[in-house]
Amino acid sequence: MLRSVRCVLGGVALLAALTAVQPRAGVAAEGRLYPSGPPNGVAYLRFVNLTPSEVTVTSPAAKIAIPADDAHRVGEFDPVTPGVALTGSAQLGGATKPINVTLTANEFVTVAVTADGDGIAVSTFRETPSDFNALKSSLALFNADKDCAKAQLVAGDNHQSVIADIAPDALGRRLVNPVNAALAVACGDPAQPVPAKLGQLNAGDRYSIFVVAGKAGPEIVAARDEQAPFRP
Amino acid sequence: MNALLAGLTILVIGDSHMVTRDYLITTLHDDLLAQGAQVDSYGMCGANAGDWVYPSTVSCGKAERIGKAGPEINRAPSTPTYQINQLIAKSHPNLIVIEMGDTMAGYGQKAFPQGWIYQQVHALTGRIAEQNIPCVWVGPPWGSEGSTYHKTFDRVKEMAEFLSTAVAPCRFIDSTQFSKPNEWPTIDGQHLTNSGYKAWGADIAAALDQMVPQMQLAKKP
Repeated sequence: MLRSVRCVLGGVALLAALTAVQPRAGVAAEGRLYPSGPPNGVAYLRFVNLTPSEVTVTSPAAKIAIPADDAHRVGEFDPVTPGVALTGSAQLGGATKPINVTLTANEFVTVAVTADGDGIAVSTFRETPSDFNALKSSLALFNADKDCAKAQLVAGDNHQSVIADIAPDALGRRLVNPVNAALAVACGDPAQPVPAKLGQLNAGDRYSIFVVAGKAGPEIVAARDEQAPFRP
Repeated sequence: MNALLAGLTILVIGDSHMVTRDYLITTLHDDLLAQGAQVDSYGMCGANAGDWVYPSTVSCGKAERIGKAGPEINRAPSTPTYQINQLIAKSHPNLIVIEMGDTMAGYGQKAFPQGWIYQQVHALTGRIAEQNIPCVWVGPPWGSEGSTYHKTFDRVKEMAEFLSTAVAPCRFIDSTQFSKPNEWPTIDGQHLTNSGYKAWGADIAAALDQMVPQMQLAKKP
């Protein structure tokens, strides 16, 4: 089973190259003493490698490798300028897929790369979450397994449903209490799920659980979300 | 003198509401001094929460006031940001008070930038939490509508409601509860008149009086 906790990689540099970084919000507009928030909005983009091998993502200005190991396969959400087309490609072995995504203000987009037979597939998950909360934990279930018609996140020995009926290429999100629950994902019988090992959930933190097709059935990548700050 | 605040060292940080002589750097600071606390105050004009964590510059000034000294206002067009870790190391506070909200509320933007605000807030509260220092976050006052800042009462309310769930482990003081919309006039839509800053400072100090007994702050020997 695949598992990841966090990823700090050169994706920051790639995304800086993919698009102009949002101007710092602390810079006052002319004639104003007190600027208010990011002047043109902000959006966040991350890449996730759900394949068994290293993936290379190339933009017009940079190229980075996203390892397949558990500690590095889930990139951090990086701030990008909304309304700007971000183009590039993802490569797995000799197979490539184009990347062309334009984010809207306040949108969080996850570009997940999966193996598709001997080739490569790219899934784009889009959300504009409004559940940021320092008192709760936010769980998201991303279904990147086309063979999993209805993914379901369950908790505890009785497999209580937490997030249900997530179709392929879709995601579901839910706020939960910050507990150390045994989480798992089912694609069919909820009594036979695949464990999603996140351990103790922290208040205020956000988590992503990916379902991806493996050789012997669904596999799980579970990670705590990381959100990069603006860079000068 | 308030026995609850006496003996505490309080570090107050904030945005432009702290960067002019008659603003909170005087009114709130004086109120806390009068209650027997040691107070160090710092303000950065236009600063977001993350600016206290990630070194950068501010372009419309910053100010500081240490203890019973007067405020020192720096209006340099580009000056390095204060960093929360350095201020903590300098003041060794028992309590940190953060006054911030107007710079991050996205006034004039159609959509409320919740994810961005959360990242900013979380970066600062996370640094403070790492050092196990209790903190209180003070949200923005109503201000006035129709200015070039595009501040609206609806967005102020939205910001206050969001901050109330976003600033933990800090406690939250909702400044919109201190007055009715338009009750505290402003000079530019955002910054209050002198009487407004006196009222706001007094109300924050009074709210701290009520919170501190619940916070079990460790006073210095």
